Amino acid sequence: MHRIVTFLLLFVLAAPWPVLAAEDFAGTVKNVQGSVLVMRQKMTLKVARGMKIYANDVISTGKDGSVGIILRDNTIFSLGPESELELKEYVFVPDQGRFTVLAKMIKGTFVYMSGLIGKLSPDSIKIETPVGTIAIRGTRFAAKIAGN
Amino acid sequence: MKGIVIIVPCLVLLLLLTACSSQKNMFVLLPDQDGNVGSIEVINDTGSYVADKPGDCVTVADSSSKPKAAPAMNEEQIRTTFGEALAVEPSQPRSFLLYFKTDSFDLTNGSIELLQPIMDAIKKNQSTDVSVIGHADTAGSKEYNFTLSTKRAQTVRNLLVERGVDPAIIEVSSYGEADLLIPTADNVKEPRNRRVEVIIR
Repeated sequence: MHRIVTFLLLFVLAAPWPVLAAEDFAGTVKNVQGSVLVMRQKMTLKVARGMKIYANDVISTGKDGSVGIILRDNTIFSLGPESELELKEYVFVPDQGRFTVLAKMIKGTFVYMSGLIGKLSPDSIKIETPVGTIAIRGTRFAAKIAGN
Repeated sequence: MKGIVIIVPCLVLLLLLTACSSQKNMFVLLPDQDGNVGSIEVINDTGSYVADKPGDCVTVADSSSKPKAAPAMNEEQIRTTFGEALAVEPSQPRSFLLYFKTDSFDLTNGSIELLQPIMDAIKKNQSTDVSVIGHADTAGSKEYNFTLSTKRAQTVRNLLVERGVDPAIIEVSSYGEADLLIPTADNVKEPRNRRVEVIIR
């Protein structure tokens, strides 16, 4: 009986995890300076080099913090201090022609660089900010956002 | 003369006030790591503005104000405002294709010449993550081609290690004839499928 209960418990506990299955990750943290956090499914985690980044993650940097992230298609987001970025949606399935980059620069300083999605399907990229959205034609830009 | 004394400081003040970096919200177009420049369009409910030259600057006071141009930023101004973000900006991963002679793990002459650019890219990216991925064409059996593509990847790995790359940062894998660059029927010799891809992250 105990075994069955244990098995069921494990099954239930294991169930939500496919959400974070390895093939679903959006990118990897390449460079980190100072304090950088990620909010993921109501948990706050400390960001370290090599950490995987997923859609719906909100990445934020402290006063001394900065971070550089490479997504799977080579799109790059770099954040300066006191900055916040939400990766709302990310889809990179080249063999099915499905691409989406939807991110919100909430506040702070940013450098963005397009990757393969910028070459293959530039209209699939949208960067939101509190004061407007950015459409990108295969390029690199920097943004400073203080809000309204 | 007195007029100039007043006008000049006023002009300087005006320039400072309109300087892109002093705006609350601003976007500046940059060349990519290969020097290419595309364009960005900043759009909100009141209008839009396109920046298409390096250093071009777009400012938006708030969500109910039109995006508009501000004086272009030079490299120094860009460094001052975005230095911290630029300092952690990762280099774009680079990818190289090396080709092989028929049914062999000898590199073609053209591909031998690529070894130095690969070494340069590893140094420049300060890479700690290099993938070496072997492939074969469809001439011969699947099993034979898997072994062949593994040997090809091993050959490239050894050439990189001989030139000073830390073996701990190289990950070797092989696909045999399962991931053709140029799709062909079975048992087709295709030089472009006899390859090793080196990805430098």
